[in-house]
Amino acid sequence: MDIIAILFYLVTTVIIFSSISLIIVNNTVHAALLLVLIFFNSAILWLMLNAEFLAIVLVLVYVGAVLVLFLFVIMLLDVPVKKNISQKLYLIFSVAISIIMFVELYMVIFFHDFVTSVSTNSSLEFNNTYEIGLLLFTKYIFSFEITAFILLVAIIAAIAINMTERQRSLRQDPGKQILESKKSRLKILKDKDL
Amino acid sequence: MITMSHYLVFSALLFCISVAGIFINRKNILLLLMSIELMLLSVNTNFIIFSHYSNDVTGQVFVFFILAVAAAESAIGLAIIVSLFRIRNSLEINLINNLKG
Repeated sequence: MDIIAILFYLVTTVIIFSSISLIIVNNTVHAALLLVLIFFNSAILWLMLNAEFLAIVLVLVYVGAVLVLFLFVIMLLDVPVKKNISQKLYLIFSVAISIIMFVELYMVIFFHDFVTSVSTNSSLEFNNTYEIGLLLFTKYIFSFEITAFILLVAIIAAIAINMTERQRSLRQDPGKQILESKKSRLKILKDKDL
Repeated sequence: MITMSHYLVFSALLFCISVAGIFINRKNILLLLMSIELMLLSVNTNFIIFSHYSNDVTGQVFVFFILAVAAAESAIGLAIIVSLFRIRNSLEINLINNLKG
């Protein structure tokens, strides 16, 4: 049993158990921290598969930005932690469906001969980042630009959804001051009205 | 010796767990979004496995695109959750039935 096998079993055990506890935990903060653990271990797994660039991107972008965003939202919303009740039916149903799905996938994996050419690019000259960059900026340059556009749309949408008109300060608004008339400010009451 | 099938079985297991998570976490939309992130992670792992064992970097380029789109998706999803919480004061999915669909 070589070191790669030991590392593989360690990492996958951590990922599987923390993902099981992620889906049954009630506290959302704990779930987000478990997700951080899962992403770190997945980065190790991707490093074992010679995808260095994406492993670093997973840690930097996902753990550094997206999961911090998750944690921000959780802290901001202050969701009350409450016990989930009366979901036994859903639990049985979900376990049954996922077991069926796993058996199907297992059969596909083991009864299908995938054509594998064992990778030989373990030499020191092989540069994963260089290879990805070469492909990304030549063959997939249009998709790359579309991705940039998608990120821009996401920024604008996230701001536009949460933009609400709110009185923030007591600053004077000249437009409103000009439109103000005497009638709206001054009301003369006669004696008999009182 | 770790073969391709080991990685694939792990990835399938992760995907099935996150499918179960979507069924279980019907009370909390944030946990639902986290299960979707987990699903995307297993799909990305699958892409990287096939890319590694077929000596082709194209799969990793696709993983790059999926990561970018998933980041955009979770940003918009969290924005929707924040504005929903401001209206509803809860995150329960079965209360979101205004459209009566």
